[in-house]
Amino acid sequence: MEPINPYYPIPVKIKEIIPETPNITTFILDGKPFDFEAGQFAELTIPSVGEAPFTPSSSPYDDHMEFTIMKVGRVTDALFNMKEGDLVGVRGPFGKPYPLQNFKGKEVFIVGGGVGFAPLRSLFLALLHDLKNYKKVYIRYGARTPQDIVYKRLIPEWQKIDRVDLLMTVDVGDESWKGRVGVVTVILDKIPVDVKTSPSVVCGPPLMMKFSTQRLVEVGFKHENIYLSMEKNMSCGVGKCNHCRVGKFYVCKDGPVLTWQDVKDIEEPFL
Amino acid sequence: MKSYLLSPDKILTFVKELSRDGSLYYPMFEEGRTHLVRFDDAHEFKPDFAKIRTAENIKQFFFPSRDTVAKFPKDDVRQVDKRYLFGVKNCDLRGVDIHDRVFMGWEPVDPFYKERRDKTIMISADCPEPEDSCFCNLLGLNPYGDAVCDLNFTELPAGLLFESYTKRGEEIIDAYKGMFTEVKNDDEKARKSIREKAITKLSKINSKPFKKDLPARVEAADKARIRDARDECVECHACLHACPTCYCFLLSDYKKGKDIERVRIWDTCYYAAYARVGGGANPRSRIDERFWNRFQCKFDFFNKYENTLACSGCGRCLLGCSAKIDIREILWNL
Repeated sequence: MEPINPYYPIPVKIKEIIPETPNITTFILDGKPFDFEAGQFAELTIPSVGEAPFTPSSSPYDDHMEFTIMKVGRVTDALFNMKEGDLVGVRGPFGKPYPLQNFKGKEVFIVGGGVGFAPLRSLFLALLHDLKNYKKVYIRYGARTPQDIVYKRLIPEWQKIDRVDLLMTVDVGDESWKGRVGVVTVILDKIPVDVKTSPSVVCGPPLMMKFSTQRLVEVGFKHENIYLSMEKNMSCGVGKCNHCRVGKFYVCKDGPVLTWQDVKDIEEPFL
Repeated sequence: MKSYLLSPDKILTFVKELSRDGSLYYPMFEEGRTHLVRFDDAHEFKPDFAKIRTAENIKQFFFPSRDTVAKFPKDDVRQVDKRYLFGVKNCDLRGVDIHDRVFMGWEPVDPFYKERRDKTIMISADCPEPEDSCFCNLLGLNPYGDAVCDLNFTELPAGLLFESYTKRGEEIIDAYKGMFTEVKNDDEKARKSIREKAITKLSKINSKPFKKDLPARVEAADKARIRDARDECVECHACLHACPTCYCFLLSDYKKGKDIERVRIWDTCYYAAYARVGGGANPRSRIDERFWNRFQCKFDFFNKYENTLACSGCGRCLLGCSAKIDIREILWNL
């Protein structure tokens, strides 16, 4: 059989656009171009502009695919100008997913920052799908301001779920904000899980990942149990173009989920 | 291994025959450099098999500097013609070996590379006169093709003495067996002597071997954050574009009529934006980090991944360097 073209993006229409924050929006695609597992990523093509890597934020069990994306550069600027019904392209799934088999029967401790909640939402929804398999799911989420919190429309429902413990903080509050104030590590002061056995998952901007991981290491999580979503410049997605290499890994192929054990010897692994 | 001799009067006929089957490229010396040129009946066939590798590396044949890899929204199939590379050198074969691993060694196989590789027959030639820039011996390579190629030949006064390394090579010998004559003991002795001379010359040029634990030394230097920053580097990227083992590329999209063409372009890790992500974080924002990344990639990372060094010792990087930085000196001093 002839090898398929790994560089060809599958055309798919944008079905719905849901603004989450002033600069973060969820794009719901009309269907699911391919199956994926939580943590695997895709390359999203904006026709005639280019493509960039994103991890789906929807459940792997859904019949459609969603991406929650922050407007940061050329490709995302163009995406934010698109309308419902416009055509985009998707390639994937790429890389290794979160190893859910290692999470079974355990307390799962998830730490997210900003738009880093996107891949974590996919993970969270995958965990919810089989919640009985896990002892409890903890989410600790930090955003810059109350306005910058993603999934505000969904979080109250998630907080009602038994065996889900979701806490939030904002760097800077306002009159409406009654919760914790400070960077995400302020809600990592008390970690009510068995750190010796529990897996933790971190995704967010580089500094947030650095300090959250430091905290998790400090309280005793095993290095191989700290799962990090590595953000690198993935161009090909298939371990060939070399852009995302860090240490001895092609992040696109060996990651994007790597453990602290994998990356701790790398100077500034989150940069 | 069985050898086959093609007498000097048959070389042109043999080349002509092959060129009817597919376009054939051979090395021609011109204005101080050797280039791979396409054989055609209308021009005089003036090969130079004795000179070192051509000025341009041969990765262009399998992994062009600019290559359309997809069309959107509807993709189409692109055809590649059969080709012969006649008289390429072993350092360039090492480059192909490295690219074989990247593009075909792990899933998914790159269909564009594979098709070109499948349709290109590689006939290498001995490299009897290594020059000062050559250091294939430091990478454990011989100055003659002994793997990766389909056929290799040694140029002797009695003609071209071939050996076959693949089934494809055997098939070529078989298809043109009427052209080959019996090999004499003296021919094999002459080949041995040419090779020994070349190896001796290489060991004089590079008398100091790389340390056996070179990858570990590169890793240790990296951990100690010792980066030979080389202020002289002007970031011209010649070393990387000239390198037969470098395989970095970038996918870029261009509008063509109503459609989009996705083009694969050679990239190099010395560009400041090479590893920068959308959010702005850049793991190698400083030139010393990027300069060192090249060494780490070739001599540590690739070794961990594939158990081989991603360098061929072809010397193009040091000849092409605007600042005259010699990669050997950096590696010797580790």
